[in-house]
Amino acid sequence: MKRKLASVTAVALASALALAGCSGTSTDTGSGASTDGKGKTITLWLVGSDTPDTLRTYLKDEFKKETGGTLDIQQQDWGNIVTKLTTALPDPNNTPDVTEMGNTQSPTFTNVGAFLDITDLYSSLGGSDLLQSFVDAGKVGDKNYTLPYYFGSRYVFMRKDIWSQAGVAVPTTLTEFNSAVATIAQKNPAGISNFSGFYLGGQDWRDGISWIFANGGDIAKQQNGKWVGSLEDAGSLKGLEQLQAIYKSASSAPNDAKDSNQYIYLNDDDAIPGATTADASTPVSLSAATIMAPGWAHWSIGTKGTADGKVTRTWDDKTFGVFALPGNDGKPAPVFAGGSNIGISAKSKNPGLSKTLLKIIFSKTYQEMLGKAGLGPANSKYTSSLGTDEFAKALIESASNSKLTPAAPGWASVESSGVLEEFFSKIKDATDLKALAKEYDAKLTPLLNAK
Amino acid sequence: MRPSSHDYHYSKGGDVTAQATETRTHTLPDLIEPVRRRRRRLTPYYLLIPSAVILVIAMGYPLVWQLVTSMQQFGLSQQFGQPAPFVWFANYVKLAADPYMWTVIGRSILFCFVTAAATMVVGILVALLMNAVNRSVKIVIQIAMMLAWAMPVVAAMTVWNWLFDWRRGVVNWVLTTLGLPFQDHNWLANPLSFYFVAMIIVVWMSVPFVAFSVFAGLTQVSDEVLEAAQMDGASPRQRFWNIIVPIIRPVLAIVLLLQVIWDLRVFTQIKLLQDAGSIASQTNLLGTYIYQLGTGSSDFGTASAVSIFVLVLTVAISAFYVRSMLKEDA
Amino acid sequence: MTTNRVAEETTTAQYRPRGRANRVLLSAVGILLAVVWIFPVYWMINSAMLPNVVLQSRTPTFAPFGGSFDNFASVIQGGTFLPALGMSVVIAIIVVGCCLLFAFLAALAISRFRFRGRKAFVLAILFIQMLPAEGLFIAQYKLMSSVHLLNTVLGVSIIYIAAVVPFTIWMLRGFVAGIPADLEEAAMVDGLSRTQAFMRITFPLLAPGLVASGVYAFLQAWNEFTVALVVLQDNADQTLPLWLRGFIQASASRAIDWGQVMAASTLVAVPVIIFFLFVQGRMTSGLVSGAVKG
Repeated sequence: MKRKLASVTAVALASALALAGCSGTSTDTGSGASTDGKGKTITLWLVGSDTPDTLRTYLKDEFKKETGGTLDIQQQDWGNIVTKLTTALPDPNNTPDVTEMGNTQSPTFTNVGAFLDITDLYSSLGGSDLLQSFVDAGKVGDKNYTLPYYFGSRYVFMRKDIWSQAGVAVPTTLTEFNSAVATIAQKNPAGISNFSGFYLGGQDWRDGISWIFANGGDIAKQQNGKWVGSLEDAGSLKGLEQLQAIYKSASSAPNDAKDSNQYIYLNDDDAIPGATTADASTPVSLSAATIMAPGWAHWSIGTKGTADGKVTRTWDDKTFGVFALPGNDGKPAPVFAGGSNIGISAKSKNPGLSKTLLKIIFSKTYQEMLGKAGLGPANSKYTSSLGTDEFAKALIESASNSKLTPAAPGWASVESSGVLEEFFSKIKDATDLKALAKEYDAKLTPLLNAK
Repeated sequence: MRPSSHDYHYSKGGDVTAQATETRTHTLPDLIEPVRRRRRRLTPYYLLIPSAVILVIAMGYPLVWQLVTSMQQFGLSQQFGQPAPFVWFANYVKLAADPYMWTVIGRSILFCFVTAAATMVVGILVALLMNAVNRSVKIVIQIAMMLAWAMPVVAAMTVWNWLFDWRRGVVNWVLTTLGLPFQDHNWLANPLSFYFVAMIIVVWMSVPFVAFSVFAGLTQVSDEVLEAAQMDGASPRQRFWNIIVPIIRPVLAIVLLLQVIWDLRVFTQIKLLQDAGSIASQTNLLGTYIYQLGTGSSDFGTASAVSIFVLVLTVAISAFYVRSMLKEDA
Repeated sequence: MTTNRVAEETTTAQYRPRGRANRVLLSAVGILLAVVWIFPVYWMINSAMLPNVVLQSRTPTFAPFGGSFDNFASVIQGGTFLPALGMSVVIAIIVVGCCLLFAFLAALAISRFRFRGRKAFVLAILFIQMLPAEGLFIAQYKLMSSVHLLNTVLGVSIIYIAAVVPFTIWMLRGFVAGIPADLEEAAMVDGLSRTQAFMRITFPLLAPGLVASGVYAFLQAWNEFTVALVVLQDNADQTLPLWLRGFIQASASRAIDWGQVMAASTLVAVPVIIFFLFVQGRMTSGLVSGAVKG
């Protein structure tokens, strides 16, 4: 309690200080966008290579056109962005003016006053058309600090051939999905040892959490101004029971498997070493009929072939299919949104120019460029630019009900401590799920409120 | 050697620039030459200036920062400019009361000792082997060691992760092909076999250094002395313990000490293995624990306290050893 | 004690083997050892020649038949390898050069002189290596930012030198102490000048130590990651480890091309191998061993 209060005051103070610092040191006005950028350079950090080069060039050209200044885009890596932001953002001489960050990282940095208050720009940049869960991740109180940059989503990838051999149809509710994948695992129509109807890694909480969400549960909730773990709530427990059933009867993924490379289990491959004679008739390494993964996984799924003397993988609509994980209420089940936020450093010496850059980023032209590059645009008015193929459909549909991690100040600690991974790995063999959930709620609560 | 009674004559401070300039008047050979002459009492200090200056600048500040931070409540807000309240030893007390901290310490010490011992034994054997085999085999071993040593750590870890991958790893493939029940065996899920894999990797990476250092040390052992000893009837074992070991002792001592230091704070290998599999809380060692607290949770105060604790622990572990080493060369 | 015992027995059996059978056996052991040690390296190169699709296969592909240099080509065409290589080479040269010089001087001081503060210095440089590096990055960043050395080769080099020099001093100290001080004098009595005596007598004796510590300094500078990460802010000027790690984490929205990662890894390893081949000759050259043993 005391800590929380202190931290709130701290945040308020920090932002006040930061703002004061800005107007004091900066040459442009600090309030409102500035277009007087002659001879000036602002720095934009983009994380990963997801933003294509054409988009980067567009940003630089537009910025030059609008302000006469130079936009220096520096690329960062996802694996180290926290370290970079931790060191550089508080340093007025070396901070990037504008930076992208993962949406789950946004609350942590926003809460300590790392970003400039851009509430005044909010409505002109898209307002309520912007993806609200991401907007919330960049909010403290009713002030906006970071805004969505782009979104991605998770959906289900299936082997149509195995599903039809097992005689199950594409599910329309989560209950149907649960029983369908169990049936496939049990029938195992391809006769492959260790076959998963639905491959769900033991530590893959980013996909598994959808079952908790879909049953009305959550990881954490706010109670009397304090964050508490809510894994033991009724909704969460119902989801956990379904997950346990999946782990027990539908998935043969190892207990410590994580949310990475699931797609390889969907591909046909080649002989299994030491296959028994019974297996010999099906010399494939295919080991799952269904997986759940971020949308981009479709690039890695397909039938093996050769083109120009190189081995390739091509998506084949007859063999593979995608759909958004269904919920039990007619809507898709809530999934974890992926994607990133963008904000102006509180220590930026060019807040006015930085705001101009944000205006360019949230312009129709740029938002549609994002969509065409397969990145979900922040502004929902432009989602149609994603196209109409099945991947775009599944992306839009699943994202329509997506959720973010709790915007708790200590969320980063939760992720880094691996406590959710550990919890999920124990679901399968738990004899008392409620006790397990209680145990981990007790571990989550202090982490969530840590500062 | 110079009598130590001259010691107190060294100048107190003085103009560093002037001293540095003066140093240049000594040629290197001049300095190597055993010290019999006068006006040499300042020489060792001149010699230490470059190292000392750079250490004070680049290590001194971080060390002091670490020490101060370990006694503060220092999180991300403090990094972003909030005043950091002094809590004195509260971070340490909190750690000492945390059973998990002690688990991690126990694991780290055990892992360190086993791994360092294995590395030393294998490294010394490889060095002796290189000394014993004919030239061409020696070159083959040297090249293999060299290539392994040259491999970038990130690359090496990627490859090792593949080799032990539960589904498509070469290790499982070979064992399965040999008829053992290792298909889809998950090496990283069980903490013990996780540490076994980690140990293999660390030993693989460290042995080239030990082997080459010991081998370099062996070049200082004269064949004639060994032959003479042999003629006097010394057994190979006696020759090893009574002639070779004393000569290469300085090298052995430092190499062992360094292995202990490095293996106690091993980080990259464990972190990258954890990224591939295993449940982090069951496989954390001190290095990854500090990383988790600091970079992961932005609890820099506690992370610094663990770091200082590791420093003290390492000093404690090596204290006896360091003392005997110092006595020896006093 | 068990470990010592193993060492001892194997040694007694193996040191200076007598019989022919012994020699053959030892050579076989040596070759086997070499194979085990080289296998991961081989696997890296093998994988670098194979397309990503093959690498995900369940059955390992042991030889890159039908492989190609495509991965290498696309890695180099990426355009970021050569600048990163340049950066790493410059840093490595500065670090190795400064470390050897500074450490050699300091090693002379602590092994040839007795002076006040000697023990304190020896202990300080030993203990300073015991501080875990994982928690230092904030302080290192602040230091570099305050002296305006962020984003500079010099900034990175200074931290590397400080991190490596304690070790190099300890290593060289052993070698300097192992050289009898009278040796040079004796040579001078035989009519050599002091410089000649140093170059012909002392330096060769010291060479293995210099090479060993130089190799260590080089590898540290070549492999270090965190300091480079925080001091060099822009991915456009980066060292090879950052570049390599960037390859593995380039995209959150694309699968990793492991074939290219391995090609990139191989490219990072090649300069080290060249460096090793260069110094390896010195480490074992007839001149050195002759000087030591003669």
